Amino acid sequence: MPACIQTKKVSKIFGGLTAVNSVDVVVPENAIASIIGPNGAGKTTLFNCISGYYVPEHGEILFYDMPIQGQPTYEVATMGIARTYQNIRLFGEMTAIENIMVGQYPRFKAGWVDAILSTPRERSEEKQAVEEGRRLLKFVGLEGLGDSLARNLPYGAQRRLEIARALANKPRLLLLDEPTAGMNPQETEKMTHFIRSLRDELGITILLIEHDMRVVMGISDQITVLDYGTKIAEGKPKDIQSNQRVIEAYLGPDVTSLTQKYQLRKKQRYAKS
Amino acid sequence: MRSSAVDNGLRTGVTFGIVIVTMFLIGFTVTGAGLIGKLFGASDSATPSLMFYSLFMILIGMWAGASASPRPLTEADTFKRALISGLVAGLVSGAIAAVIGFIFGDLSANKIDPRTYLPSVSPDSIKLFLFNQTPLMGSLTLLALMTVSAAVSAALSFFFRSNHWLKNKSGETSNAARGFFQSAGLNRVLQSQYASYVFWAITAVVLIILPRVWGSYWNYVFGTVGIYIILGLGLNIITGWAGQLVIGYVAFFAIGAYTFALLTAPEPHHLTVNFWVALALGVLVAGISGLLIGLPILNLRGDYLAIVTLGFAEIIRILLKSDLMTDYTAGPRGIRDIGGPTILGKPFVSDVDFMYVIIVAVLAVTFIAHRLRNSRTGKAWFAINLDETVARATGINAFGSKLLALSLSAAVAGLAGALFASRNQFTGPDDHALMVSINVICLVIVGGIGNIPGVFLGAFALKGLPEILRETESYRLLIFGVLLVIMMRLRPEGFLPARRPELEKHAAQTPSGKEA
Repeated sequence: MPACIQTKKVSKIFGGLTAVNSVDVVVPENAIASIIGPNGAGKTTLFNCISGYYVPEHGEILFYDMPIQGQPTYEVATMGIARTYQNIRLFGEMTAIENIMVGQYPRFKAGWVDAILSTPRERSEEKQAVEEGRRLLKFVGLEGLGDSLARNLPYGAQRRLEIARALANKPRLLLLDEPTAGMNPQETEKMTHFIRSLRDELGITILLIEHDMRVVMGISDQITVLDYGTKIAEGKPKDIQSNQRVIEAYLGPDVTSLTQKYQLRKKQRYAKS
Repeated sequence: MRSSAVDNGLRTGVTFGIVIVTMFLIGFTVTGAGLIGKLFGASDSATPSLMFYSLFMILIGMWAGASASPRPLTEADTFKRALISGLVAGLVSGAIAAVIGFIFGDLSANKIDPRTYLPSVSPDSIKLFLFNQTPLMGSLTLLALMTVSAAVSAALSFFFRSNHWLKNKSGETSNAARGFFQSAGLNRVLQSQYASYVFWAITAVVLIILPRVWGSYWNYVFGTVGIYIILGLGLNIITGWAGQLVIGYVAFFAIGAYTFALLTAPEPHHLTVNFWVALALGVLVAGISGLLIGLPILNLRGDYLAIVTLGFAEIIRILLKSDLMTDYTAGPRGIRDIGGPTILGKPFVSDVDFMYVIIVAVLAVTFIAHRLRNSRTGKAWFAINLDETVARATGINAFGSKLLALSLSAAVAGLAGALFASRNQFTGPDDHALMVSINVICLVIVGGIGNIPGVFLGAFALKGLPEILRETESYRLLIFGVLLVIMMRLRPEGFLPARRPELEKHAAQTPSGKEA
């Protein structure tokens, strides 16, 4: 299977801080891959490099074998990489369906002259845009809420609308930054199913950042672990769960010896009583 | 719950009482009554009749009542509560006015002239304030008038609001207003398709007839309003929609005016280009200058952009004024004898004719703005306005879009400038001071940023109203300032804030959207 997105020794440096240090990630087409790691590990920075918001100092980013590092954000988006944000960033003063229509922007061609003259192209594109917007609203379960302002939607609906906006450009790669943040277990469960259906039904490759381990272990085909900007582990969920370096990164380096000590003390106490 | 209705009325009443007393103390009661008299065609506005004064006070009372009536309407608001609010507001404001009126009436009766301390409170104005009655009877009349008018208007505004509210929440029952308005069927008439045709026909007739009948003075005033509408619509593109604060907008106005002037005036270049060609060139040059200015600066955001464009406007003005450019732009003297419009070789330059040119220009720019507003381009602008980073990440070339917005804005300003120069047959550096920019920004904000009807309203309020208020002479700017403050307090989003279209519902209604 060809690689959808591939980073080759990507580094991003802010002043003296190396936020992402020579990271290699390969996500095969039609996979669901996760990036995990403690806070400040450089996950979102890596996302920003892929989506073109940052230009990495070193390394290469290949999207279907095409180098995209250093390209303007809008070019990267037009090629078919869409993303959502850790803290939802919708166009709050626009209606839900308009948010989706903005997401469709690169797919249409009508310019300002078309708009003024109301050319056939303008009219047919506009009709198509609204129809597809309605279809996407239905797909993410927001039917009937299309004309409410995005900022007035409930939290879960905003998350789904943000994904709908990302889908509007028919992306080949979807970057999801903590899609289940702030959700209760039921909502998280629903979102997990939804993400899986994006891959299964629409054939979109998905790369996500997530802190909820149940979600990560449940849906990922592949997990990459970052710590202090460096990749410390990579593999299937099972491998990651038992990986010593990952446990240390999350719980501290002495965790094994600590557990042993604790168990020893417990035994002693039982022995005394 | 009743106490809150009383509270509400009390607060409004005190405010309006103070307003009435202040108006009385600065002599505005006489002026206001005179204005109303003028509206009804009375010749002498200096000594208005009692009837007009009563009308003036009734209007104030009704305003008090309307603002005391609960808003926004909730389930708990009943007709009784609205009436109580209005009644209390009228009583309180009337009482305050009555007490002051009684004191001054008594002073006046005892031959003490308050003009030593309050130059505007003449015996005549006191007499008028008390309806030409004795102090006691006069103040009681004032009290009664305020109470009745406030109560009536509170009741009326309750009916209007409850009707509006019912429209939003159909399915709720048990409200007297509902049956009243449904039987009237007013809404159905207003919402029918033919109503809009009739509306447009009336507007067209009015626009054709008005410039012929109301004289050159009003043609001048509304010509200026029209030019500011064009400027407002233009600025609205870059500032209202794309969200880039361009303070130096007047620069493009100047470029349009000077391009047109230099092409059609005998001095300094002996050019007499046809009006329409020169107009098109003015628009084009201004548009291109917008493009050129935008290239280096549109990567800046917010405050920086504002400052840079401010500098640009000043550079243009100072260049036009400088000796360096005298040979090319006639320097501080300005350019005289600028050409007027012609149609098929015939001059078309009377004030009436020029008003038509301005009306056509306003309609054309409005049409273009309307078409752009909800187009793909317009949505991209609005997305950049709301969150530029995200807009880029959804595939919008933010720089290109902003550049387009700025050039279109500049081109529209160029049109306004060319019309302005041609109408006045003169243009000089002082016509293009920064104040023009600030006025345009103000009118866009006052009207409701990003909204086309708002620009019209803002232009009328900021450029038309000061002329209409010219009668009131020294109070002109005071009233104007007060109106602005009140408006911004009541409607911080502008008078007619922008609304988003209902695309989902709309698509559901058309047959083509059904299968989606």
